[in-house]
Amino acid sequence: MPCELLKDFRMLDLSDEKGAVCGKIFADMGADVIKVEPPGGCSTRRIPPFLHDRPGADTSLYFLAYQAGKRSVTLNLENADGRRLLAELARTADFLVESHPVGYLESIGLGYQALAAVNPRLIYTSITPFGDRGPARGYRAADITIWAAGGNMYLMGEEGRPPLQVSAPQAGLHAGAEAAAASMIAHYPRQSSGRGQHIVVDMQACIVWTLMNAQAFPILHGGSMRRNGVFSGALRLKRKMVFRCADGHISMLLTGGTAAASVKALVQWMDEKGFAAPWMRQQNWSVWAPGVISPASDYEIEQVHDIEDRVERFFMTMTRREIYAEGLKRRILLSPVNTVADIAADEQLKARQFFVPVHHEIDGGMDLIFPGAFAKLSATPLAPPTPPPRLGEHNEAVYRGMLGLSAQDLTMLRATNAI
Amino acid sequence: MASMALEGIHVLDFTWVAVGPITTKYLADNGADVIKIESLTHIDVLRAAPPYTDGKFGINRSQFFADYNTSKKTVQLNLSHPRARELAMRLVPWADVVVENFTPKVMRGWGMDYDHLRELRPDLIMMSSCLQGQTGPQAMMPGFGQLMAALSGFYYISGYGDGDPAPPYGAYTDYITPRFAAALLMAAIDHRRRTGQGQYIDVSQFEASLHFLAPALIDYFASGRVLQPQANRSQRYAPHGAYRCADEGETERWISIAVADDAQWNAMLRVLGNPACEERFATMLGRLRNFAPLDQFVAAAVRNRQAWELTAKLQEAGVAAYPVQSCLDLHQDENLEAFGFWNWLEHEEMGAAPYMGLEHRLEGTPGRLRWAAPVMGQHTDEILRDMLGLSEAEIAQLRKDGALT
Repeated sequence: MPCELLKDFRMLDLSDEKGAVCGKIFADMGADVIKVEPPGGCSTRRIPPFLHDRPGADTSLYFLAYQAGKRSVTLNLENADGRRLLAELARTADFLVESHPVGYLESIGLGYQALAAVNPRLIYTSITPFGDRGPARGYRAADITIWAAGGNMYLMGEEGRPPLQVSAPQAGLHAGAEAAAASMIAHYPRQSSGRGQHIVVDMQACIVWTLMNAQAFPILHGGSMRRNGVFSGALRLKRKMVFRCADGHISMLLTGGTAAASVKALVQWMDEKGFAAPWMRQQNWSVWAPGVISPASDYEIEQVHDIEDRVERFFMTMTRREIYAEGLKRRILLSPVNTVADIAADEQLKARQFFVPVHHEIDGGMDLIFPGAFAKLSATPLAPPTPPPRLGEHNEAVYRGMLGLSAQDLTMLRATNAI
Repeated sequence: MASMALEGIHVLDFTWVAVGPITTKYLADNGADVIKIESLTHIDVLRAAPPYTDGKFGINRSQFFADYNTSKKTVQLNLSHPRARELAMRLVPWADVVVENFTPKVMRGWGMDYDHLRELRPDLIMMSSCLQGQTGPQAMMPGFGQLMAALSGFYYISGYGDGDPAPPYGAYTDYITPRFAAALLMAAIDHRRRTGQGQYIDVSQFEASLHFLAPALIDYFASGRVLQPQANRSQRYAPHGAYRCADEGETERWISIAVADDAQWNAMLRVLGNPACEERFATMLGRLRNFAPLDQFVAAAVRNRQAWELTAKLQEAGVAAYPVQSCLDLHQDENLEAFGFWNWLEHEEMGAAPYMGLEHRLEGTPGRLRWAAPVMGQHTDEILRDMLGLSEAEIAQLRKDGALT
């Protein structure tokens, strides 16, 4: 059941882990996404961990997740016939996304100008670690080095210990999703002008955009925020953002002002159970925002420590599930620090049928469960997930069916390692 | 093609805080006309969130708000007032797209949900993007991205694995959803151009964000394995992490390094002056297995090196490395500069400040931050007069009646 949104459009996906989710988003929106892989397979096929810890060309969890719904052809860019085939494919395509080192595709005659000459409609999106103009444009990158270069790593971790990365690398995903947004923005004028264009996505900039308000402090207030474990720095005050409970942690915004109703409801609940201090019952929470508008006073700092201690003692009497359920009822701004197991069992996701069974013909057939549609559309529902392709699974369909090559041509291209 | 990509697209923007405003900002910075509806009675909380220009609070002084609302116009309408709702409804026929990210009951309560709005414009595209989606038992959950980042697993998997989590800073998932939402809006607009059909789009921030954890979820369903915080440990790179270099004045300085194979490892050892190292570090398997002592070895070897100089040498030798940059560093970063990332804009009240720019560059129809974020109510009179044809007297009366607060 393909999605109607982009059903008549085709994308060539030449990207690796820096862009895989771009084509995934396009496939979900109904585009025909052809993953163009080197004869040895896309590098994302080799990213650990693997399904049931059994490495194989089709069992990388990263590959399963982000190449789902695409078709696969093999094509050797180091070979003249391979390069010619890519230009032929580009003639039939509406979008191309790639994440090769800056200048590589141009150096082998497959840069934007060359492909625009055969297909002026083509939108050609290049994902780069550091952009295409700065001194680091040729730098080698890994997800962690971009996380560091973009400033998020500096803010994660505890003082006295190393700065951290999220334990599921994120930089390539931000860049890939950004490439999808940018490509679709360019699609709009192309559909009336008939002219495509080249797009450059900057991964480092994508990570800077994840820093919320932190990036603006050095210029406006002076000084950079620092990594602070479960605390968030404010003026003279570090506020706790994560609290222990009986079986894990709870994330909560413990401040008044715009969140006054939430603190009030929390204090009411604590009071019922004997955990609230007298001052908390009398506090006007709509004006209580220590360290938000002006530096916190000594008295306010004492208040913050008192309420944080009491909240944690209160939460230690309950589980994450109990606290979340009651928090939802009382409209308190809190949420459990969920594991993937908690997410798999979440009632809301179940009610919305977010997770979807997928049958995959590997290892004699396997039933898997994938995250489903990233949004619900009333007229053009997104395509449900389907398994990713086997290496070169669509060589026949694409090279013979689409490009019109003969069986003999295909044999020769295989023999010369062009595909 | 000197024009901007999305010229001619009209967006009526009821959004606040982050996910909604960042989504409509994609359109605004690429040339779409975006009208943001705001009120002091239900203020966009980012207007009251730091940092403020010169550290002084004011609803027109927050750079947090300013960064997410460039290139937009704003009209001050108190939607609790029936006359204000009527004015907002009169803007709907103009709008190709309506975007909102309140909890689901808010637009319904105002009689401004999709079913009502499409009576005013049958081919309307409307997007809602609350935390958990429009349907289901938890649909009404209020909250911010910090909570969503915890709910959707990112807090749990961040940390050293021996105590409390060490989550990503701030409302992390707020920076995932808009990328999906912007792509989707553009697809829906193009689909309407071909078919004449509008539609309603329900974006759950929870569901969109989980796509950034998809491998771990598929793994859990298949094998029951629960992804744990790994500090900086990797299954494909060793060494892999952040290592402290020589301090720069009072400031500590760290470098991030990822070594993918033996050739890179040997190149790195050469850059480090071939320090004596244990035999078990000679192979990839040995390094992956002995990750902790390897980390100690690298930490000792780089502790007195200058991070920037070491980065240049490692890169020259083919090893992925970069200093761990603070926010101040970002403002001095030559690559961001070369990409044109920082945009100094002049704001009505805040004066000049550096705004975060676009993460992409469209070579043919480049977007840009056309103007700084508006001050509260900046375009109210202009919009009511020029778009709705109200007279000065009518506007004054509305103001007196409290519809424009």
